[in-house]
Order: sequence, then structure tokens, then C-alpha cells
Amino acid sequence: MLPISYSVKNLGSRPLRTGMTVTVVALVVVATSLFLGLISSLRRTLVSTGHPLNLVVMRKGSDNDGASALSQAAYQAIRFYDGIARNAADQPLVSPELVVQPFFWTREGGRENVLVRGVELVALEVHDQVRIVAGRMFVPSAGEAIVGKSLVGRYQGTSLGSELRFGRGTWKVVGVFEAAGSSFESEVWVDVRELANDAKRPLPYSGIRLRANSEADLWTLKERIEADPRYALQAERETDYYAKQAESANSLYVLVVAIAVFSGIGAGFGAANTMYAAVQSRVAEIGTLRALGFSKRAILAAFELEAFLVAVSGFCVGAVAAEVLATSVGQWLRGVAFGAATFTTNVVQLQITGRDLLVSFFLTTALGILAGLGPAVRAARLPPIEALRRG
Amino acid sequence: MNYAGLVWANLGRNKLRSGLTFGAVSLAIMLVVFLLTMPAGLDALLNSIASNTRVSVHNKAGIVYSIPFAYVRKVRLVDGVAGAVGTTWFGGAYEEEGRVTFPNFAVEAEHVGLVYPDYGIAPNHLEDFRRYRDGAIVGRQTMRRYGWKVGDRITLKSTAWAVNLDLRIVGEIPIERSPVVWIQRDYLDEALIAQRGQGLGIVHVIWVRVADPNRVDEVMRTIDDMFRNSEAETASETEKSFFGSFFGSLKGFMTIVLLVTLLVAICVVVIAANTASMSIRERGSEIAVFKALGFPRRIVFAVLLAESAVLCTAAGLLGVGLAYGFTYALRTFAAVIPSLGPLGSFLITPSVALQGIFLSLFVGFVAGLVPAWGAARKPLVEALHEIF
Repeated sequence: MLPISYSVKNLGSRPLRTGMTVTVVALVVVATSLFLGLISSLRRTLVSTGHPLNLVVMRKGSDNDGASALSQAAYQAIRFYDGIARNAADQPLVSPELVVQPFFWTREGGRENVLVRGVELVALEVHDQVRIVAGRMFVPSAGEAIVGKSLVGRYQGTSLGSELRFGRGTWKVVGVFEAAGSSFESEVWVDVRELANDAKRPLPYSGIRLRANSEADLWTLKERIEADPRYALQAERETDYYAKQAESANSLYVLVVAIAVFSGIGAGFGAANTMYAAVQSRVAEIGTLRALGFSKRAILAAFELEAFLVAVSGFCVGAVAAEVLATSVGQWLRGVAFGAATFTTNVVQLQITGRDLLVSFFLTTALGILAGLGPAVRAARLPPIEALRRG
Repeated sequence: MNYAGLVWANLGRNKLRSGLTFGAVSLAIMLVVFLLTMPAGLDALLNSIASNTRVSVHNKAGIVYSIPFAYVRKVRLVDGVAGAVGTTWFGGAYEEEGRVTFPNFAVEAEHVGLVYPDYGIAPNHLEDFRRYRDGAIVGRQTMRRYGWKVGDRITLKSTAWAVNLDLRIVGEIPIERSPVVWIQRDYLDEALIAQRGQGLGIVHVIWVRVADPNRVDEVMRTIDDMFRNSEAETASETEKSFFGSFFGSLKGFMTIVLLVTLLVAICVVVIAANTASMSIRERGSEIAVFKALGFPRRIVFAVLLAESAVLCTAAGLLGVGLAYGFTYALRTFAAVIPSLGPLGSFLITPSVALQGIFLSLFVGFVAGLVPAWGAARKPLVEALHEIF
């Protein structure tokens, strides 16, 4: 076997050529990581929303709670079903909610639809992901609002203490909440009655969120709610509901995979090019090595190792650059707005995760090994005598 | 001496290398062209669907906030208005898909023709739409997607109003990429009264056509002033700005797409430059001989530069072709797999294709410039020295 240091030294013998190849690989890593990061941030935001024991109750046929409506009577009936969890005060954890999507104005003057959720105080217990991190919860009927973390600074009036205008009225922002990175962080919460007044909704609620006691209770509740002939409702586990919303990102997935594959192949051509040139310029050397008794396999391994090393260095450079770029783009855009299926804006914090990097790592190393294969085989197959003569 | 022949011969010298470079550049150009179609596609889409003389009047608070139906009649009386139609989101889902896969609205059948003369809907289709309460007019894209034709009967389940409506398709909007479906407002009204004793009562957007393009701003101002301090204040804007703001929420995503495009483009330059410098360095002795034979520097420079430019431009042409193929495939798949949705709307506009070709030419020049200049400039004696 040739020592590893042989391959390492070869990388340094033509620094410009190696540098260019590393750059190409690094650029591919940056491009794929950015896209993968965007997709996984989007999925994380949407999919991580909800509690596995929560049910979303909507009118039958509605695909999102923005399109649903249900009556006070339905809420009162469901509230006292068996199997619903209760809080310390023995109040059932049932949260009647109304969602509307009014215009919000970005600081640059653009217009986006933001989801405003009218809730009662019990909502904080039903959605226990949601935690107030600054200020306090709103006081009902006082014209107050709390805003999700992702919205702070993105729109006019969405920071703590400021006056927020949407719908017909003006609201005072008294708190900022976090929700474990989920899409609740792209929402504004206000008192449900005030919101219904403001939106002039004929039916008071768009849906109900409730917490079941246990998994078994959840399914029993679902059946009971859907079987009730009076209200024509449907119930869905909250996590499933958001997973379905996240499917709107599927087409992006296809796109990203296609882009990653094509740019990968393109960069592979470039890398193979360099490797072939490296073999060609070292014909004499390879002949000498063969004459000295190194096996074909040893030469093959040495060149493969070289290709692998180029890919790994490219990956390292690219990974760092991608992280830096993602952070600065995130800062610059204050989150990436993504219009989901529900017609509202989700503000996604762009973040490249370890998993995204792992995927690009496998992509680049596979690329390096494949690109190096042809040249490595050619090097190994060179007949020693002829190689010596040609050199 | 035929220099083109020389360039051609040089390219064939190392077929493997030329082939690999060709492949890398063409794939990259394909990607760049494809990524550029996203913003360009949105622009083209906007220009094809939106007009500057059609105006949307909606609630100032947002499109999901409604306006009283009575406003439509008042808007029609405004001086300069050629036609106005109230549209209400119906949110109908087709069959078992259970979700809304195309936009569909309840409209006033007798007024759509006045507001959308540019849609080119056949007069007899409009006539039938007025005549049949259960009539529906369907955009060509949706017609194709579900294989519908005029005369078919379909049922839409509304996700917004909890009614199901049986409809007969009486006409088509003959615009290639129009997904819109219109149903009759009166028909929905009746169904709602039968169900809950109360009709629709509201509209979401009033679409207004202004006859004189110079009076658009004035008409918009008059309408908004008319409803100032009413229960539903309105905000008017041109159709172009209305749809433009929908795409506005995609801006962040587009920024990232353009960033990636830029990276891919840089990548190509690096690959091509690498190749050009390799092949020129390899031929050092040959170039020296060439010069010794008396070829002037500028010829040497031009021949070497042309080599890289020709290779890259040819690769760029292939790349644009590949991008055409790729978007064609996406469109075909998207017609079958609905979840691919928006990917099916990518079209490569001639200007994007041209940009791709120019980019490849540019790449060829940039990549070949430094090595070719270096080789041409190298003193003859020094170059010959390297040989002997």
C-alpha cells in the first residue's frame, strides 16, 4: 500500500488546481445545504406544531381552520364530553378559537397576510408549547395582543409595547411568546370575543382545540365528535393536522433534490476533469511506482483517496460558508416568509441543521469517489513500461 | 489558414476533457436557467393574468374581511366604471380530494363579461352562464387537469360555506394557465337560504374595469372616498399590484433561489477556468512553436480564447435545451401528480433562455481570458526554452 501521506502531498503539489476543485465542491455544498436547510426549516416549523394529545375540531370538509366555522352550541356541547383533560381548577382544556388573516405591513411597506388567533385564557394550557417570554398574557376585553417571536420586528407595530393595527382596530402588544420554533410563532393572539367583533363574524368560532386525557380518549373523542349528527364536525389530531399543512412543501422537496443531483453531477464532471489531469501529469511517477512493485490496487486506492480528500476539504469549506451565509441571510431577511396552503404567512427561521449537512456530506463524498474512479482506474491500468517511456 | 478549423482541432485534442467540461457547463447553465425561470415565471404570470385597467376593491383590513354586497351596486354608479362584479370565495373542493385545488368564486353572471372582456370567453358561453343557475365557467388549466369539457356535470363541496353544489360546465375561460372556476352567485345564495335561512350578503373582492386607462387612479380614489368611515372601509388597487402582493410573500424564498443561482454560476466559471488553464498549460510547447512560426500574439490569444468561448457557448445551448426538457417534464408530471402543483407552471421565457446563452458565452470568455492572455504574452524565447 502507498502511504496516505503520498495522496496528501499530491494535493499540495498543484495548489491552484486543487484549490479550484475544492472551491467547486464547496460551492455545491453551499448551494445544497442552503436549499436543504430551507426545506427542513420549513418542515420543522410546520410539523413541530401541535401536541400529540390535542384534537383540532373543525367543520366537516374544511382543510384548515381559516376556512372553518362552528357555533357556540357545538362548543358548549363538546366542552363537557368525557375524556377531556382538566386543569388544576377542574376546567376542561377546551379552547374555542377564531382565526382571521388580516393584512400586516412589513417595515419595508409590503403587505402580508398574518394569522391572528382569537383565544381564551385557557389556550395557554391547551397549547402548552406556547410560553410568554417577554411581557405578559393579554387581559381579555382590553384591546391587548401577544405576538409570536418570529413576527417581532418584521412588521410595523409587532414589538413589545407598541400599537399594532390590523383589522378594524388598534391593539396594544403586551407580550411576546415562543412556541418551540413551531408555526404558532408566526401568529398574533388576541381575545376571541374582541376579534369576533372586529371581524364581524356571523359564527363566533372557526374551530376548537382540545386536550384529551390519553391516546385512547383522543380516538374515542374523535369518533364521538364526528358521529354527532347535530353539528357536522370533523376532528383531527393536531400533529397530523400540521403535518398535512406541511405537505405544501412537497413540491419544493422534489425541486431541491433535482437541483442537488444536477449540480452534483455538474461538479462531478469538473472534479473528474482535474483528477484526469492529475493522472496525466504524473504518468512517469505512476510508472515508477509500478516498476517499484506497487500493485494496481495500491495505485487505485491512492488516487481514490486523493479524490476523497478533495471532496472532504470542499465539504468543510462549504459547510462553514453555508452556515455563515444562512445566518446572514436570515438576519437580513428577518426570517423567510413562506405562504403556506392556508393563505397565511409563515415566517421561517432559516437554519441549516446537522442532518442537512450530513446529507450534503454524503452527496459530496459520493461525488468525489465517483469522480475519482475513472482517473484512478486509468492510473492503475497504465502499463509500467509504457508509462516510464512516455514520461 | 482557417482559424475555426484550428479551434475545432484543439477542442478535439483531449476529447475526454472537453466532454467533461462540456457536461459540467451545460448542467450548470441548465440549473441557472431553470432557477431564473422562477422569478421570471412569476413576472410573466403576473403580466399574463393581470391588467392595469382592472381594479380590485376589497376591505382595507384584508381580503378575508368581507364587504357588504350592497357596495357592488354603488361602485357600478361611479363615473368611469365600465363594469363591476362582486366575487365571493366559494372554496369548493372537487370530489374526494377534500381540499381546494383551484380557486373558485361565486360571481354575478350578468356582469363578468363586462369586467373580463380580455378573457375572450365565447359569447354563447357567457349567455349560457347567465341562463343556467347551476352554470359554471372553468379556466382551461382546470379543464385539462380533470379532463372536463363543456356540458359536463360536477359537484363542488364548499369548504367555506358548508354546502355542496351540483354544477354544469357551460363555458371555458380560454386562457392556457387559468385555473379559475366561476359559479353563479344567485345559485349559492339560494342554497344558503335553504340551509340556514340567510343568503350570502357579502362579497370578498369587487373587480372593477375602468374604461379609460388614464382615469384608473381617479376611479380608485373616488371608490375609497365613498366608503371612508363606513362599516367596511375599502382599499382599491390595480389587478397587477393585487396579484403582485401575493407573490410578495415569496420574496424571501426567491432571494435564496437567486443566491443559489449565483453560486452555481460561479461554480461554472471556476470549472471552465480550471479546464482552460489546464489545456493551455499542457500545450505550452506547441504554442511556442506556433509563435516561432510567426503568428502574431493577438491571433494566438484569439484562437485560445475562442476555444473556451466556443466550448462554453455550445454547452450553454445544450443547457438551455436541457432546461426546456426539464420544465416540460415537470409540467407533464405536475398535470398527473397534483402535489407538484406550482412546479408545473414553470415556463422558460425567451429572455431567460437568452440570458442563459449569454451567461455561457460570458463564462467562456472569463474562463479563457487569463490563461490565453498568459500564453500569448509569454516571451517566445522563454516558451521555447521550456521545450528544449
